[in-house]
Amino acid sequence: MIELDLSTPQGITLGLIPEVLLTGWALIVLLVASWRHGSAEDSRLAGWLSFAGVAVSGAGLAWLWVNNVTPVGLAQMMALDTFRYAAAAIVLVSAGGTILLSLGYLERELLLAPEYYPLILLATAGMMFLAGAEDLIVLFLGLEVMSVAVYVLVGYNRGSAASAEAALKYFLIGAFASGFLLYGIALVYGATGTTNLSLIGASLAGGQLALMPALGLGLLLIGFGFKVAAVPFHMWAPDVYDGAPTPVTAFMATGVKAAAFAALVRVLLEGFPAAHALWQPVIAGLAIASMVIGNLVGLAQRSLKRMLAYSSIAHAGYLLVAVWPGTRLGAGSVLLYLAAYGLTTLASFGFLAALGRGGEQDVKYEDIAGLAASRPWTALGLSICMLSLLGFPGTFGFIGKWYIISANIAEGQIILPVILVVTSVISAGYYLPVIMAMYMKPAPSDEAYREVRLFPAAAGAIAISLIAVVLLGLWPRGALETAIRSAVTLTQTATPVARQ
Amino acid sequence: MRELLASIYFDRWILHALILLPLAGTVPVLLGDERSAKRMALVITTLELILSLGLWWAFDPSQGGMQLVSSAPWIPRWGVNYRVGIDGISLFMVLLTTVMMPLSVLASWTSITRRERAFYALMLTLLTGLVGVFIALDLFVFYVFFEVMLIPMYFIIGIWGGTNRLYAAIKFFIYTMAGSLLMLVAIVVMVWKIGSATGTLSFAYEHLLANTGALGPAAPWLFAAFALAFAIKVPIFPLHTWLPDAHVEAPTAGSVLLASVMLKIGTYGFLRFAVPFFPQVALSPAVTHLMVALAVIGIIYGALVAMVQPDIKKLVAYSSVSHLGFVMLGIWGVSVISVQGALMVMISHGISTGALFLLIGMIYERRHTRLIEAYGGIARVVPIFSLILTVVALSSIGLPGLNGFVGEFLVLLGSFGTYPWATGIATTGVIFAAAYLLWALQRMIFNRLDNPENERLTDLTGRELAVLLPLIVGIVWLGLFPGPVLRRMEPSTQRFVEAVQPFAEPTTARLGASAQVGEGER
Repeated sequence: MIELDLSTPQGITLGLIPEVLLTGWALIVLLVASWRHGSAEDSRLAGWLSFAGVAVSGAGLAWLWVNNVTPVGLAQMMALDTFRYAAAAIVLVSAGGTILLSLGYLERELLLAPEYYPLILLATAGMMFLAGAEDLIVLFLGLEVMSVAVYVLVGYNRGSAASAEAALKYFLIGAFASGFLLYGIALVYGATGTTNLSLIGASLAGGQLALMPALGLGLLLIGFGFKVAAVPFHMWAPDVYDGAPTPVTAFMATGVKAAAFAALVRVLLEGFPAAHALWQPVIAGLAIASMVIGNLVGLAQRSLKRMLAYSSIAHAGYLLVAVWPGTRLGAGSVLLYLAAYGLTTLASFGFLAALGRGGEQDVKYEDIAGLAASRPWTALGLSICMLSLLGFPGTFGFIGKWYIISANIAEGQIILPVILVVTSVISAGYYLPVIMAMYMKPAPSDEAYREVRLFPAAAGAIAISLIAVVLLGLWPRGALETAIRSAVTLTQTATPVARQ
Repeated sequence: MRELLASIYFDRWILHALILLPLAGTVPVLLGDERSAKRMALVITTLELILSLGLWWAFDPSQGGMQLVSSAPWIPRWGVNYRVGIDGISLFMVLLTTVMMPLSVLASWTSITRRERAFYALMLTLLTGLVGVFIALDLFVFYVFFEVMLIPMYFIIGIWGGTNRLYAAIKFFIYTMAGSLLMLVAIVVMVWKIGSATGTLSFAYEHLLANTGALGPAAPWLFAAFALAFAIKVPIFPLHTWLPDAHVEAPTAGSVLLASVMLKIGTYGFLRFAVPFFPQVALSPAVTHLMVALAVIGIIYGALVAMVQPDIKKLVAYSSVSHLGFVMLGIWGVSVISVQGALMVMISHGISTGALFLLIGMIYERRHTRLIEAYGGIARVVPIFSLILTVVALSSIGLPGLNGFVGEFLVLLGSFGTYPWATGIATTGVIFAAAYLLWALQRMIFNRLDNPENERLTDLTGRELAVLLPLIVGIVWLGLFPGPVLRRMEPSTQRFVEAVQPFAEPTTARLGASAQVGEGER
């Protein structure tokens, strides 16, 4: 256990070591990219360099986490607690996975501008600030750094009209979301005189929430609702997910979502623990709407990418159920589910990118008919993904759902878990046809899947994710313990301050 | 025999071996070549059968509680342990499973020609799941096995099934999953409520069973969730619609395992979990009336619908609905006799219906039709087949001297004191059973041999006889000497009845008790 004094330059540098390393590395890669620009080798070089950057940042993060670094006194801007470390780890895994998925994909789609990779690194740095922000201003900065980089990434395929439309849509909606968030921050600041989450929590503790902070909280929730694509703020998600290059979609579904949820949990648990009677019904409403709409509309999809987009809306609903209890268990279940969902989704989009073949074809259910006969490993892997998303025992997805259910039931909440499982059954209606198409329908021809190629780097990322999904599904002990311990610090720092 | 088994510490490793052996067996099956897959699977399932037969001696028939219990921590913080054990109820379910499995493998010998490795690997996984469901003594573990066995069956129906297989497979999957996920919520609620009342968070069966008093007003809802999951699996009357589709579309081995073993998971669930956990709800007048009424409706409805089926496989599928109604009636009869009867019906339905599906599969392989009207007079062409079909059909009807009679008779006897009216109506189900099966038999193997295509049918091969003979032996043995089986069930049945009977209606308790053998009124 190391204590850092964040008021000293060394202290703040060490406390932010993963973010500092990552941002610095992104700038170096950007420089490299400006000199080596154009060929496939250059793109690959930038990709592997960026992956190394993620690894270096991960090493910094590991140092913080292993030494269980905590601040002296109150953390002013960035939290130094295990919740931040766990969330940052999820974000880094998502970034590393995305880079590996992109390596072959960009070459195949001839998107050879290597700036792609520094943008991923910058977005990741933004996510890490967002996930660890102890202050609403830092939170907003993190959000903007992340969002601006992701807007560009979504529109990265300049030749594609769908990609351009997605980028514009995401940008406009994102601007709205930022506006809501900023206005919410302003109102909260006006009511409490501070933007530090712990101090907000302290000043709002006890008594009824006045109109101004309540309004601020509402606007914050709307902003987050847009970012995590919760119904009714989800309208952008299917088009953007569909139009973006597939690895970027994977990045949005895993990284952006993880960072936004980590921030949401921190804001609610540290800043507004006293107002839980106010935000719990809102979260519950958003959760129910997301689960029901996401899963029902998912049933109607013909394209796998759009199906996964609606599935991601539904999973935002499950995660909101995990946010609802506002307890240590609840926060732990958010982390665990983000990890489970992230790993599974990364692998799913990896397969989808391979199945899209050249020119980013739209993959429909019938386009994978009989895949199992010629590509047994791809079919097996994608089946495991679908079962994990469905929450089937033996996969990490099941452990995640079970933990969410437990966290809610521990707080006496039955309705949300029941809706969660009922809508999960509905989701079987669109996850199972994927398995069905691959195994139980005949292939259109023997040659049909000749062009499907899984690039080595992507195959490695997918294999590692899937092995983790299965192993953590069978031996969840370590992951569960980590999730609970990570969430402990969050409620420990939050509760005493709130009681002052 | 007992000493021999004790000398090799049989009781310490047998249950784990039964779970792990088939799972480990998938590796050589998948790695071997396509042609040797079935031989490998046969060897492994036969080995499993031989191992499981040791349970017959290792099991102490004088004990009613759980035996051979062993446990290993899995997720200790949440009180989840990998915990297994058997009693007189699960013993026979395990044996039924291990007996039917090598027979199903043997029955698939020539009918499964595509992707054999995958097929047999799935069969072995299914075996692990089925054994696991019956021996799990931790609700988390039970739930995992309960769900996991869906996957192999889903693939078996979906890949090797009939023309409408995709629809049948997904329907089967979603029906079962809908029930089981609500049960998962109920399990977690139970564990938390009991955990906060007793201070011990544990999914262990006995811990939960001993503290169900802490559930209070939540009990009816929890019972409803459990009952729904198991009622779909049984299936009880309005929830049965997945059954004809799944049974008819599945390949022979799938139909056999669905009917013989998987349906029993539902009734086993009622006996093991739903009723003992919530006897005050399960045996309250309203629920009792509902369940008995649904059981009787199932008996009559299943029989009537079976009667009009042109497809012999569908006929047998609907007959299952009828037979399982007897099991439900027996369980709600809450006397030692009726519950033993229910268990006997479970076993003999497993054997007889399994044999019927096997026979249908054999004739289908020859003629590629299951329509009753396509046959006629084939007794002259295939006498051995016809003889065995007749014996099996008679056992399914419940002819005295064969296995079907024992169970149904005990159920009717044990339940008559409790529900004279319902039992009276249920008795007509036996008559209907005679009607639909004998009528089908007449149209298939007797009558005139008027279809020239049937003249070239070949009789059963040695392999097919090897599949059927063990079942015929079982049919006759259980019919003539049910004693050893009943004796092993009795202590566990007694325990079940003693635990739940005080919660039954006053009249029920009195009449039920008077019908018991050597048991005083409580």
